[in-house]
Amino acid sequence: MKSSRQNQPDRKKEGVKGRGMRYGTIRFLTLLSAFCLIVAAPILNTRYQFDFIQGWFQSLSIGNLWFVSPLEGLESILTSRMIYGPLLVGMAMPVVLALLLGRVFCAWICPISFFSDLLDRIIRLVTRRRYRRAGDPLPRRIFWFALVFELLLAMVLGTPIFVFLSPPGLVGRELMMAVMFGTLAVEGVMVIAVLLMHLVSKRFFCRYLCPLGALLGFIGSKRRLKVTYDSDACIECGICKNACPLSLDPGKGETSSAYCWNCGECIDSCKTGALRFKWRNFSA
Amino acid sequence: MDRSRRQVVKLMAGVLAALGLEGLFARRARAKSLFKSPVHTNYLRPPGAVPEEIFPAKCIRCGRCAEVCPYKSIRPLDLQAGVYAGTPMIDVTDVPCWLCMKCVEVCPTGTLRRVEQKEVRMGVAIIDKHACMTWKGAGLLCRTCYNVCPFKETAIKLDELRPVVVSDACVGCGLCVHGCPVTLENGKKAINVEPIYAFEPVKWS
Repeated sequence: MKSSRQNQPDRKKEGVKGRGMRYGTIRFLTLLSAFCLIVAAPILNTRYQFDFIQGWFQSLSIGNLWFVSPLEGLESILTSRMIYGPLLVGMAMPVVLALLLGRVFCAWICPISFFSDLLDRIIRLVTRRRYRRAGDPLPRRIFWFALVFELLLAMVLGTPIFVFLSPPGLVGRELMMAVMFGTLAVEGVMVIAVLLMHLVSKRFFCRYLCPLGALLGFIGSKRRLKVTYDSDACIECGICKNACPLSLDPGKGETSSAYCWNCGECIDSCKTGALRFKWRNFSA
Repeated sequence: MDRSRRQVVKLMAGVLAALGLEGLFARRARAKSLFKSPVHTNYLRPPGAVPEEIFPAKCIRCGRCAEVCPYKSIRPLDLQAGVYAGTPMIDVTDVPCWLCMKCVEVCPTGTLRRVEQKEVRMGVAIIDKHACMTWKGAGLLCRTCYNVCPFKETAIKLDELRPVVVSDACVGCGLCVHGCPVTLENGKKAINVEPIYAFEPVKWS
């Protein structure tokens, strides 16, 4: 706590960043409001018959605007071998978002991110340590194998299995079960397991096992919005590497890889302004 | 290196603990077949459902139908249903379907097809003439099933004051089952909905 307070004026004095708020703060507020949305939706629907906003991150509708999680939709198409027009339209929006901005769903919306960040904030308050290094317990490639394995398993079993392994969707379903029937579904154990994994190794599930993250990362591998690295301004302090929840090294250009989810933690941590978000134009 | 290996060991221990916990819950599930459709008499799919053959494949278990159902007729299955876990079911003896068709409108995957009320085929009601008080001629003229039917005179008619289901017009909503005052020892009523359409082969069109 003390050290972070010491750092704060430094940054302002240097005047490197013209922003008022840290990306971390904005992101946490976004996560919070996304979580509030999926808490409010089932309550409004079942108690007050207010159906303007329905569902959660497996499928969400705001008025006539539909979203369907791309992975669930893809699995439904693969396992049933049938194409359903409205499903494709619902999947289009998240896919376009991932094409342009990358895995931003993971970092800015996903309720698991919200819980993990909340845990991190509590841990930070208790231990007064600013960074908890993520580390690399496994090779990153496992991420892609997890996606392929999961898709194949779904096709073998003939059921979109991701729905039981999808913590973002599970949180929403558990909330609905709690609101409507006053019970919780057993598969919610998964959410607890994922959070326990997060406590052992930071964002373990998100980094290695989440098939939705892998799909969004794959779609967003040629994304427009990236964190760019200015080697002239960098003093190679290595703080950004410690700050990254995915254990990526911005100094090695790993923020341009498919793994980066544009959370902006590295930008917040950088004292010299060597890192910033940059929109790459279509011509480039 | 040493540190990361320790992390992996810790992690595997965590996963094993979680699986153990899961196994505890799932013990009862193992007894049942994990690949058998849960649909049976009076236990039906929501309106417009595709056949059971592809239902678990198409449904993404988003639960939107359950969320939108104003009567809470629809309940998602729990993990004990195996492959079918999370899919929506209606127990018509508990809460039947009033055919408001809201679930059909919100289904994002087309698992619940957009059909009109009279085209719904959740099953077909069959009267147990050995259990029905009117048919047994016990001096009672109960016609609750006839009275509650949303397609009175089309799907159910009275033949000399005794109810008769018109199979081709019955939508299988289960209102008659819910209304029937006779409950047998096996939990069935004197009129029951049999989900005969759920097990039709899929038409690839």
